[in-house]
Amino acid sequence: MSVTQLSDPLIANLGTPTPITRPRKKHRDGRWAAVMIFPNLAMFTVFIIVPVLGGLYLSFTTWDITNGFPKWVGLQNYRQMFHDPLVWQACETTLKFIAFGMVPTVILSLWLAMLINFKFRGISVVRSLYLIPAAMSFAASAVVWRYIFLDGPGYGVLDYVISRFGVTPPDWLASTTWALPALDIIAIWLSLPIATILYLAALQRIPDSVIEASKLDGAGPLRRIRYIVWPGVRYMTPLVAIVALLSFTNGSFDLVNILTKGDPINSTQTLIYYIYFESFAFGAWGYAAALSILQVIMIAGILVVLRLVSSLVNRW
Amino acid sequence: MVITQRTTRRIRILVALVIGLVMSAPLLYMLAGSLMSNSQLSIQPPQVIPNSLHFGNYPAAFSGLTQVIQVRSFVNSVIFTVGAVGLQWVLCITGGFVIAKMRFRSRGLITALFAISLFIPLLTTLIPTFVVTYKLGIINTYPGLILPIAAQTGFGSLLFRQYIKELPQELFDAARMDGANWWLMLRRLVIPLARPATAAYLAISVLTAWNMYLWPLVAAEGSGLQVLTQTLATVGSTAQGEVTPQNVIFASVVIVTLPMILVFLAVQPAFIRGLAGSGVE
Repeated sequence: MSVTQLSDPLIANLGTPTPITRPRKKHRDGRWAAVMIFPNLAMFTVFIIVPVLGGLYLSFTTWDITNGFPKWVGLQNYRQMFHDPLVWQACETTLKFIAFGMVPTVILSLWLAMLINFKFRGISVVRSLYLIPAAMSFAASAVVWRYIFLDGPGYGVLDYVISRFGVTPPDWLASTTWALPALDIIAIWLSLPIATILYLAALQRIPDSVIEASKLDGAGPLRRIRYIVWPGVRYMTPLVAIVALLSFTNGSFDLVNILTKGDPINSTQTLIYYIYFESFAFGAWGYAAALSILQVIMIAGILVVLRLVSSLVNRW
Repeated sequence: MVITQRTTRRIRILVALVIGLVMSAPLLYMLAGSLMSNSQLSIQPPQVIPNSLHFGNYPAAFSGLTQVIQVRSFVNSVIFTVGAVGLQWVLCITGGFVIAKMRFRSRGLITALFAISLFIPLLTTLIPTFVVTYKLGIINTYPGLILPIAAQTGFGSLLFRQYIKELPQELFDAARMDGANWWLMLRRLVIPLARPATAAYLAISVLTAWNMYLWPLVAAEGSGLQVLTQTLATVGSTAQGEVTPQNVIFASVVIVTLPMILVFLAVQPAFIRGLAGSGVE
């Protein structure tokens, strides 16, 4: 009897003199914690904290990276930034790319998740059709989509399909109007699987009985979406939006660098591509660092807007 | 009533299937194109089903005039992925365990730093990260390629923290009373019990590393260090794409993507748990 009682942690704890062990335990944790988390924190510090702080410092300097040390120039890079029309254009392009990508991604992924949220034999195969593109890189999909978008008299598959509907297809990657939307289509296609997975996970937590009950009560599909599905999944929406934001941010370099190099006439020159160009091609590392700060501010701004939107939507 | 319900069900299945085919159409087109002859690929209207199967496109991607993929790049991609993810896993499971179960000052601060870092993707710190790596003298070496990526420990540490926090505290109390130190607990308790979290972590990180383009592009310009995404980028941009036959290019994309599709299919449940779990907090 005494054995079973002692192995019960509650009673076992009663037996130990807490006031004495507690402080000593705390001390011991601290030392072990320091040793065990050290490798992680050391790497994190060298390759994340130092670059973040160092980048801030670099943004007040001018430097070509190879010679000597960064030279302090105060606010000069920021002044130059404000007077550089290409910067404003790049910001606009980036924001367009992200906004026109994120909004469809959020809406479409919820719809797709609802489509595949039911059970029948073979559903896992059908779901795989939706989710497999998640395994693809921007680079790999850029190659495939370049051929799908191929211009000319009915050369690419997409142009062929569009012209079958009697519509003249645009020039896609060669057009100042359509190049950015074309890149967005690729990035949306790549972002949908993960967004769909997230919504699907949320949908699967809504008990079938709730939906059945609403059907019995005669609620139509629209009312069901509004009053049962949406309240059940809206907590997931901020995460979907953030994951999409990060994906489009990455896409704004990979796709641009592989497919358009910022062309035609700078119409797809995103901020990160401009940063890459200023530093690695022109050697203006201080200026590129200042532009990187702008990129961070942009992402932070989008997060603030997301937060506002989601607090509005949550009330709805 | 019963019949209409069955019909709506059938329609739903059909719609789900058709939309699914649309969603995976680029992949299926790539797969079909990789098996076509190059003349079939250039016929109008565009063909989607191969007349005959040209498996020769696959070896052609590795050799001769049509070579797209260097075996070296394949090896580099494997080294980069295994190195970065393996090292990062060790850092993250240890770090996650420390901030989940140990009591010490600055635990909150460290957790907050990890969380903030999620919103500072490498892309925004590319310039200073390159400067640091360059000044360490490891640009164009494997450590320069791997270490800065392995150091992105925010996501993984938080994932493991979340999972380890929910493991029953009694296990750790009992282990401690048996005289186990933290190191032993990590090896004997945390690593075996956190296997589902490890699976989710690996699923996401392996895909991310294999598909990464920007960092290898700047950190490994030397041709000896190039990874597969760089190889694909070369044929994706027009100049090279005109020279190499399209069917061989498609075959190359399949070769590069297939390992990840297999990984994805194998770990899909873990992948979904890992992603969805990060939203539940």
